Amino acid sequence: MFEPIFIAQQLLNGLSFGALLFLLASGLTLVFGLMRIVNMAHGAFYMLGGYVGVVVATLTGNLLLAAIAAAAVVAAIAFIVEFGLLRFLRGQELPEVLLTIGVSFVMADICLWIFGGDPHNLPNSAKLQGVMTIGGLSYPWYRILVLGIAVALGIALALLQNRTRIGAIVRAGVDDREMISAMGVNIRWVFTGMFVVGAALAAVGGTIGSGMQSILPGVQNEVLLYALVVIIIGGLGSIAGAAVGSALIGLIDAFAKAWIPDLAYFTIFLPMALVLVIRPTGLFGRKA
Amino acid sequence: MKRSRIVSLALLALILVFGIAFPYLGASNFALSITTTILVAAILASSVNFLVGEGGMASLGHGAIAGASAYGAGWASKQGMDPGMQVLIAFGVTIVVSLVYGLLSMRTSGIYFLMVTLAVGMLIYGLAFRLSSITGGENGISNIARPQWIGNLAADGWKYYYVVLAGFVISTAVLWVVSRSPFGASLRGVRDSESRMRSLGYTVPAYRLAAFLISGIVAGFAGLLSVWQTHFVSPSSAGVDRSVLLIVMVILGGTGTLLGPLIGATIVILVENVLSSYVDRWPTILGLIFILVILFARAGIVGSIAKLLRRLRSRTAASPGGPPSPSDTSVSSTSNAA
Repeated sequence: MFEPIFIAQQLLNGLSFGALLFLLASGLTLVFGLMRIVNMAHGAFYMLGGYVGVVVATLTGNLLLAAIAAAAVVAAIAFIVEFGLLRFLRGQELPEVLLTIGVSFVMADICLWIFGGDPHNLPNSAKLQGVMTIGGLSYPWYRILVLGIAVALGIALALLQNRTRIGAIVRAGVDDREMISAMGVNIRWVFTGMFVVGAALAAVGGTIGSGMQSILPGVQNEVLLYALVVIIIGGLGSIAGAAVGSALIGLIDAFAKAWIPDLAYFTIFLPMALVLVIRPTGLFGRKA
Repeated sequence: MKRSRIVSLALLALILVFGIAFPYLGASNFALSITTTILVAAILASSVNFLVGEGGMASLGHGAIAGASAYGAGWASKQGMDPGMQVLIAFGVTIVVSLVYGLLSMRTSGIYFLMVTLAVGMLIYGLAFRLSSITGGENGISNIARPQWIGNLAADGWKYYYVVLAGFVISTAVLWVVSRSPFGASLRGVRDSESRMRSLGYTVPAYRLAAFLISGIVAGFAGLLSVWQTHFVSPSSAGVDRSVLLIVMVILGGTGTLLGPLIGATIVILVENVLSSYVDRWPTILGLIFILVILFARAGIVGSIAKLLRRLRSRTAASPGGPPSPSDTSVSSTSNAA
């Protein structure tokens, strides 16, 4: 239970699960930071991305192709949701959230219709095979790959936000919407773009995640819970917060499931409660 | 203003008379059991409606409060305790759970409140799933005993129907009285402007906590009634989907209105239990109705009808520049809060 190899294994489990959480939470937190929308359909985007990814991967045996297809399909749907529905409620916080709940409801039901109730998993042909062995420790390469993807994506997002013109527009939009509109930037299209990118990130997460845990009805709520806890801990709107929160929750979850499986849910909830009581804006959050 | 109150009271009395007469109108056992389900859901929805309408706090965790109460009763029954102890334990669990919700959420508002209640609700759902030594895990707890006097639901469901009807009337009355009290007025003050109430010397979190406790106890009551109706509780009864459906009921019916929860619960339960035997994709239909209501009729069914009637009356009666009725503003502010 406390052997070094066991600890190292749980450490990797936690970090790779945290990596998956980061793919989810980064999209959610970016959308919130810019648009002040908590997108309750984020879990449904993850689920649809997972289903599409599994289907394409089964057909082609190519993980990259599967992720691209999933991102494209989900991005198209997210565009319809943003352009066709959310735009009419801009600035009304609660109706916006409730609308995304309705969207999640409909999407989950349609997914059940199309893909059925059976668990969907990434086929082995599309997965990175084999295990990494260091001394007595062996660990599947696939999970290491997930960890790598998340780190690369996190760095890319941070660079995009801090070093490019697009990032500057987004940061300006977070700080002062009216001013950036007055400067001649069409903020409505920035919003739409961000919403679509966030959804595509969730879809990529779903495809990659289907190699770690099955996609099945109900998964949309479970991943949404984890993502919400992560961004509440990390602070809404902060990429760094999402990264730290994901790693923290991933690790806590892995060790709790190994040591005290009966209380596995309780242990991710406890840090959230502590953060809410001590620092309601989250570790990296700013006052609204 | 006075006339509209008389109209709504008359309408209420009419519905109540119909509710009392319902079993005598040749209602089948199925109709009675559906109506009982609707009334239980309406009690639960009115507890959410109280929080959203008066406090501006949209909770996504009330399904789990009712679920926790039901699990309390179920656990007590499994230990062989009598119904009196079931009630005691159910309410004990309800109060503890509502306190946890309230303490965690009392410093938040708006979407933060929504997220915290959602997270706590999911936690309770998770505990129901995993703490199988107490909750029976995925299978839940079945064959939960109910008080002798309720009798056999299949043979004479009308008895329990009256119990639930009385429960609905009482809880609606209690919530109405609380809303009209000075406490209710302060709560609306918190909803409309937290900073103003704070600078007036109100302890805003305490008001939120108290409101949550009141609402939670009503939700726990509904949970107890549902467990006595179905004999059974499982994790899905504490799930997020239930809580989402509650919000759907409240918004469909009309946030902050007296009759809204009943109307919303009627529509949702009928779609879920009756339409579902004809159409497989009933959640899609329900979701689409919900989206349409949010986009086009934020005041809900009751609120929209009231608005329409008011507009018609003002056009026919008060054409010489009558001042806008004060209730107009109150409706629009509640719909903003929704």
